[in-house]
Amino acid sequence: MWPWEKAHSRLKFDISETEIINHLTDGILVLDKNGKILLANNAAEKILTIEKERVIGRTIFWLDRFIILSPHIPLFSKKKEEKEAQIRENLILKITTVPTFSENNKVGVLVILHDITKEKIIEKAKSDFLTLATHQLWTPTSAIKWSLRMLLDGEFGKLTKKQEEIVKKIYETNNREIKLVGDLLQVAKIEEGKYLSNLKLLNINELIAAVINNYQKIIKKQRLTLKFNKEAVVPNIMADEIKMRIAIENILNNSIKYTPPRGKISISVSKIDQDEVKIKISDTGIGIPKNQQNRVFTKFFRASNVIQRDTEGTGLGLYMAKNIIEAHGGEIWFESEEGKGTTFYITLPIKKRFGEFITSKFY
Amino acid sequence: MAKKILVVEDDKFLRELISQKLTKEGYDIAEATDGEKGFESVKKEKPDLVLLDLILPIIDGFEVLSRIKSDPVLAQIPVIILSNLGQKEDIEKGLKIGAADYLIKAHFTPAEIIEKIKNVLKQN
Repeated sequence: MWPWEKAHSRLKFDISETEIINHLTDGILVLDKNGKILLANNAAEKILTIEKERVIGRTIFWLDRFIILSPHIPLFSKKKEEKEAQIRENLILKITTVPTFSENNKVGVLVILHDITKEKIIEKAKSDFLTLATHQLWTPTSAIKWSLRMLLDGEFGKLTKKQEEIVKKIYETNNREIKLVGDLLQVAKIEEGKYLSNLKLLNINELIAAVINNYQKIIKKQRLTLKFNKEAVVPNIMADEIKMRIAIENILNNSIKYTPPRGKISISVSKIDQDEVKIKISDTGIGIPKNQQNRVFTKFFRASNVIQRDTEGTGLGLYMAKNIIEAHGGEIWFESEEGKGTTFYITLPIKKRFGEFITSKFY
Repeated sequence: MAKKILVVEDDKFLRELISQKLTKEGYDIAEATDGEKGFESVKKEKPDLVLLDLILPIIDGFEVLSRIKSDPVLAQIPVIILSNLGQKEDIEKGLKIGAADYLIKAHFTPAEIIEKIKNVLKQN
């Protein structure tokens, strides 16, 4: 017997459970193990656009003729599931399904329908705006890049030494602007809600190996050696692959940029206890001055010893990396000594069950 | 015989720069300033390669590319997308419809674009 079948039981707040369920703003459906609808609240009625009295006793498959929900409701799952689905043109729902048990036997499913249409519209509007803004900002800078390059290559006549010098500076400044626009686009996408998308089980060793592979050429060019130590068996972690890649790349990129020739970079991955993966990225580079270490993860920050060496760089790499790692529930920190080198540490949680991951603190 | 390249680009400055560079490299040039004229030019000129922008007046670059790739006669003409739309979805879409390459204008110099053109022409 469902708790709310104790008809009109008043709680000490003088309101019954039935009334509470009816007034919840999320749609609630209770199904038996065959998909028959035993209960529907007011909000569910609104979402389905059918009176709840009409649906009680019917199955979700019968309901498909009015609103197609059944494909999104896993009747046979033994664990809590969550998915987003576009149900109608102007209706996008987050559908949570929770199996219900009686004496260890599955007896039904609790379905929670949460309307996320507005969030999705705003998300899309923001994304479209960012794409357009980047495109518009990149259009004049492309023209500047191309024409200055051609000017420097002598295609509009020979330049004097002085002219060449100044045009070169303009060219490099413009390239910085191009990179900055690109980075701002990335940051805006990451910051926007600080959410992750396309979460799936990721083998961190494979990801790091792929990133290292892309940098092989430049590592060789800078005459650096890179060593990758991985513990044989590291559990997969739930992660947004694209963003995790960006985070690792940004840290490795710094190591490569700021380690002088014949320096060493080493990366290691290991498992901590039962529930964490630890990544260590170490270099014998120029290090970070002690008095600037507390600002390393802030937006646009670049240390003084770095600005002198290399005028490019946007100061957004580590800011992005920190956001991404923390959005995954992890932590990032570093140790560094000027003239000796820097080591970055990242820990990421391993979640055993998908449901556990979704409902944990960072969501 | 010189290879013919069709440049479909609505920005006058960019169009002039890339055409000048291509002419200097010894290519014959045809130009179009919007998507509709672009597709008409492909049909008329049958170029050896098309440099195609995506944000274009009348019909956009994706539409032009689709039409080229669904025409049995024109489908074999290689198209290089040259655009400032930098999102992964746009790049994937372009390659999926059948672009031979996708270059972001802000990331490449004219000389590098020529290299890419040479690579594509060699493969064909």
